[in-house]
Amino acid sequence: MRIVVFVKPVPEAETRLRPSADGARLDTDGVKWVLSGYDESAIEQALLLKEANAGSEVRAVTYGPSPRSEEVLRACLALGCTSAGWVEAPADLPPDVRLKVRALRQAAVRWPADLYLLGQQSLDTESGLLPLALAMALGVPGANGALDLAFDAARNELSFERSSEAGVEEWRLPSPSVIGLKQAKNDPRSAKLQNILKSRKMPIDRIPAVELPAAPEVTGNANRFRFELPPPRTGARLIEYAAPDEAAEKLVRVLREEAKVFP
Amino acid sequence: MPDFSLTEEQSSLREMARKFARTEMAPKAAECDRTPRFPEEVYRKAWELGLMNLNVPAEYGGSGLSALDQCLIVEELAYGCAGMTTSIIANCLALEPILLGGTEEQKRRFLPPFCAEYHLASFCLTEPAGGSDAGAISTRAKRHGDGYRLTGEKCFITNAPHASLYTVFATVDPELRHKGISAFVVPRSAPGVTPGKDEEKMGHRASSTSTVRFEEVEVPPSDRLGAEGDGFPIAMRTLDQTRTPIGALATGIAQAALDHAAAYSLKRHTFGKPISEHQAIQVKLADMATRVQASRLLTWSAAARIDRGEPGTLDSSIAKTFASDAAFAVADDAIQIHGGYGYMKEYPVEKLLRDAKLTQIYEGSNEIQRIVIARELLKRYA
Ligand SMILES: Cc1cc2nc3c(=O)[nH]c(=O)nc-3n(C[C@H](O)[C@H](O)[C@H](O)COP(=O)(O)OP(=O)(O)OC[C@H]3O[C@@H](n4cnc5c(N)ncnc54)[C@H](O)[C@@H]3O)c2cc1C
Repeated sequence: MRIVVFVKPVPEAETRLRPSADGARLDTDGVKWVLSGYDESAIEQALLLKEANAGSEVRAVTYGPSPRSEEVLRACLALGCTSAGWVEAPADLPPDVRLKVRALRQAAVRWPADLYLLGQQSLDTESGLLPLALAMALGVPGANGALDLAFDAARNELSFERSSEAGVEEWRLPSPSVIGLKQAKNDPRSAKLQNILKSRKMPIDRIPAVELPAAPEVTGNANRFRFELPPPRTGARLIEYAAPDEAAEKLVRVLREEAKVFP
Repeated sequence: MPDFSLTEEQSSLREMARKFARTEMAPKAAECDRTPRFPEEVYRKAWELGLMNLNVPAEYGGSGLSALDQCLIVEELAYGCAGMTTSIIANCLALEPILLGGTEEQKRRFLPPFCAEYHLASFCLTEPAGGSDAGAISTRAKRHGDGYRLTGEKCFITNAPHASLYTVFATVDPELRHKGISAFVVPRSAPGVTPGKDEEKMGHRASSTSTVRFEEVEVPPSDRLGAEGDGFPIAMRTLDQTRTPIGALATGIAQAALDHAAAYSLKRHTFGKPISEHQAIQVKLADMATRVQASRLLTWSAAARIDRGEPGTLDSSIAKTFASDAAFAVADDAIQIHGGYGYMKEYPVEKLLRDAKLTQIYEGSNEIQRIVIARELLKRYA
């Protein structure tokens, strides 16, 4: 089975985020880039499929600027991916999903696979558009929000579940398909030390930006023009007390009279 | 190295150890300290990820890391929990005599099993009657046929109750002092080997420490490391290798203490402002940071010297002594900055002081290190 997993570097959770000087994007200076949680799951899922289907290959692919792209691809190789592909992009890539689809489509054509796997959404922009947009661009079936994928080689079929408020759905898609993953069966694994060392010596295949087809015209409303951090949380109040029953009494009073949660 | 920057490979090793320490070790550190408990599941996971036999070369299945890379990892692990780190790196200490004194056949026989499966080994040098004067050990290796019979008792042996293999130092004749000492590899399963009960310790309580008794234990000549009488230099050269990582371990404790103290100082208010704005607290934090930085650079430079193949005795003794004294002082300051809360077990800093204390004692006490430093130093003036 050949699997291509598309991954996106996102700022590490502990990073202090700041808007850039022009206010349009994130200031990436000093940001540490890691795989997003959904992408970690996607890699775990791909590795589980590889282990279940002897002779499988898992290629991690990212579209983005240097050096964060190489960093996350090396992390994928250390986790057990067999190869890596990098579609080069300038650092100031406009956040237009069509640009990404164009690049990932190029990668999918270069590296044909039975399954194109993604995290269901990235942890930074959370738009969740890419899996289905890419499926449309490739003209293959697509699904998002998948849980616990399996591959039936004899029937050339991918199966998974989706769950929603309405209940649990069971899906079967012919391969190749593009699937956005919500969660694998296992928690994402950690890389072994020896594999980290090995991954440093593995090649990363590149598709230079100039090899991409002409960019679609970027219109004003496809461009993010403002980036702001969420406002700092306010409104927390400490209730001072000497004894627990005094604290309870004060809390009930605040809840009733100010927050008006009960009559 | 002269520019003190790390390669990408080193950064990623450090990152990996940091993640392991913060997600697998730190959350269990307080519980394992209080109970106390030997968290075997943490050690197994460390083994699975390749964090255990750091010094075993790749040809025997280990990670084969340079001394500097080992230090980067050990510092991060110790930040998570020093006691667990002592148990994780005890295999390096126990297997080093085989690396240094073993024949190719012995290395092929003893080392790969540790890399193929989770096993612990212990380094057995210290005896109840004395640890510092290693030349005075009294565990006897009586010649028997063409092999030996070992009889005696070792004490304070890390991981001994859980180990499957011991590297043991014993003497054919105590009169010969250090010239009579040989090194042996003894499986736990050999008749006459009895590890004792876990000691109750002040710190490093997630680690396990006990005596080991040897009662007429048969050892074939093929399990002696080096020639008869090579034991003392093998032990000393082993400690030359493992002392620098102890400096890194101490640095990890100190960094944790500094981080806790700085964060607390920003949150705690007295006299209408955060205590971080009182100059007395700032001076403490500045001294702490200076000690942490100096400890780290001394261990890095000692490790780099060892990696260049130069004699490392002086540098590793300096690094271990400075970093362990610094860790104790920094943990002490961290408690002081926490005030009364620092004295409470609910806060993490009092454990750091108890953990730091050991680094001044084991792998050659700091008094012995200072003797070594002075001796190496004076050679240059003689
Ligand atoms: C938790 C723990 C784990 C350990 N793990 C191991 C292990 O795995 N394997 C192992 O072999 N050992 C181990 N040790 C033993 C450790 O290395 C010894 O405790 C240490 O070497 C000191 O020996 P001692 O305790 O016998 O002290 P002593 O040698 O009795 O020394 C007592 C005091 O006198 C000082 N002193 C001694 N000689 C001199 C001198 N000439 N000049 C000035 N001062 C001197 C010492 O520095 C010390 O302060 C461990 C110890 C502990 C506590």
